Amino acid sequence: MKKIAVCYKWVLNDADIRVNESTRNLDTEKSKPQINEYDRNGLETGVKLKAAAGAAELFGITCGADTEPSAKDALSRGPDVVYYLSDPALAEADSAATSKVLAGMVRSLGDVDVVICSECSSDQYAQQVGPRLAALLGYPSVSYVCAVSVNGDVLTLDRKLEEGTETVTVQGPVVISVSPDVCEAPIPSVKQILGAKKKPANPLTLSGIGLSAEAVKPLSKVESVKAPLTSRKAVDMAGGGESVAEAVAKLVKQLSTDGLL
Amino acid sequence: MRDIWIVAENTPWARTLAAAASSIGKGAKIVAFVQGDEAAAKDAIAHGAAEAFYLPLPADAPWEAYTPALAAKAKADKPALILLSASRRCRDTAARLGALLDAPCFSEAKNISLADNGIKADTMLYGGLAVKSASSSAALALATIGAKDFEHGAADASRSGPVATLPLDPAGVKVSGRKPRVAQSVDLSGAAKVVGVGRGVSEQSDLEAIRGLAKAIGAEVACSRPIAEFFKWMPEECYIGISGQQIKPQLYLAVGISGQAQHYFGIRDAKVIVSINKDKESLMNKNADYYIAADWKEVVTELMKAVK
Repeated sequence: MKKIAVCYKWVLNDADIRVNESTRNLDTEKSKPQINEYDRNGLETGVKLKAAAGAAELFGITCGADTEPSAKDALSRGPDVVYYLSDPALAEADSAATSKVLAGMVRSLGDVDVVICSECSSDQYAQQVGPRLAALLGYPSVSYVCAVSVNGDVLTLDRKLEEGTETVTVQGPVVISVSPDVCEAPIPSVKQILGAKKKPANPLTLSGIGLSAEAVKPLSKVESVKAPLTSRKAVDMAGGGESVAEAVAKLVKQLSTDGLL
Repeated sequence: MRDIWIVAENTPWARTLAAAASSIGKGAKIVAFVQGDEAAAKDAIAHGAAEAFYLPLPADAPWEAYTPALAAKAKADKPALILLSASRRCRDTAARLGALLDAPCFSEAKNISLADNGIKADTMLYGGLAVKSASSSAALALATIGAKDFEHGAADASRSGPVATLPLDPAGVKVSGRKPRVAQSVDLSGAAKVVGVGRGVSEQSDLEAIRGLAKAIGAEVACSRPIAEFFKWMPEECYIGISGQQIKPQLYLAVGISGQAQHYFGIRDAKVIVSINKDKESLMNKNADYYIAADWKEVVTELMKAVK
């Protein structure tokens, strides 16, 4: 096995996104970008697979409007080198656009035996990029992978599906999409964080990988993004200064009236 | 209106998707592709499809190996919309079809409206924190549909139509074994009352008190993702959220749950939500019908006394 590439997405940390209660718009001012949490398991899967397969190189690859700041964080999680593509044309990229760019990046890197994606991103949660990328590259797609083992060039993968587990074997090149339970994603150590500064982070460009902004235009157009209205009343049972016992009594009475107790 | 296709992982899904297609398509011809045997195809026809293809689960290849044949047929037949079940095999199939046909795919889409000049649909962002409304004028669009979004209609046994199957292309992926899911110890999907445990509950031994309360009110016990995935206090089937169980109980009692959008997504259809979280400003309290902002232990103790 020569090269393993792990795709990751640089996304806003949704824990710090607030909703403007009057406009229902999202306020992302306090939210910083981070490596998509699901992709951290993907990066660690790459680290483990590289060791188990004796692969020569582990790449991290990403694309988006502004992905350069992601490289150091990604490198601290194990890849030998990161290739990032930043282009304002990708600001509104959908799964179709992202997978086209990633496919171009994988092709330009050459000889990648295994491409690892995680099953989803925390922002869009579309669960499409891994299988789309496989189809564009003409590689088999193995999705919802919860266990990976390797013997020579043959990967044995467990897939967690609704009806149970399916074990498949496949020889590269292949795109696998891993579920979060495939492995733990350790927090990088200080040594890894310092070590990341010495590893290469290489920019790629759309034209450099043979694509134009027109070729990676999103296939869908965003009309609006709004927080849904919640119809919940959020009644504080101790809103009148009640003690815990009084608040509980009030709650029990309310739930009994609602026919719930 | 051009045809609407439905691609379903099993018969219940095919019925749901047939209902979705007839609601969205308003008279468009429905062509079904369903996992199973001829009987599954006939069932799809009885539920509204004009034509149906049965796609048996191959012994030594993943079911998704029908994708290239589906893509080739879609190129020839040019449906306007392909609806697939929001289940894992179909999500994989949907994404690959999207790439092969250069079409957008709306994941777990809601409020789909289809017109001659394109499609509009809502999908969620940031684990349900926001809804994205998007449109596409592409010649073909795909969407995956949640199991609870459409009620299927009654079977009409008098309906008939052509039934066939499609060829497989395993593309080098060989299935070496399958293990059915172990029966779940709890059935959250049908539970009328559910108590959810979150990280505000700091010790595993505290679960006893919460189980006691759940038993007293006739509720099942569930949890947030960290409790199952990181602390492993409860089995994975017990966690509620976007990547776990999505439930629809009459009463959901959240104990020590912060209420991130990903968790709320799994309980948004609950009739009444009660939150016990000492942080008055927590998202869970804000998104509850009733809340008590106090130490959960005290509240649970008082609740036990009150319901006995």
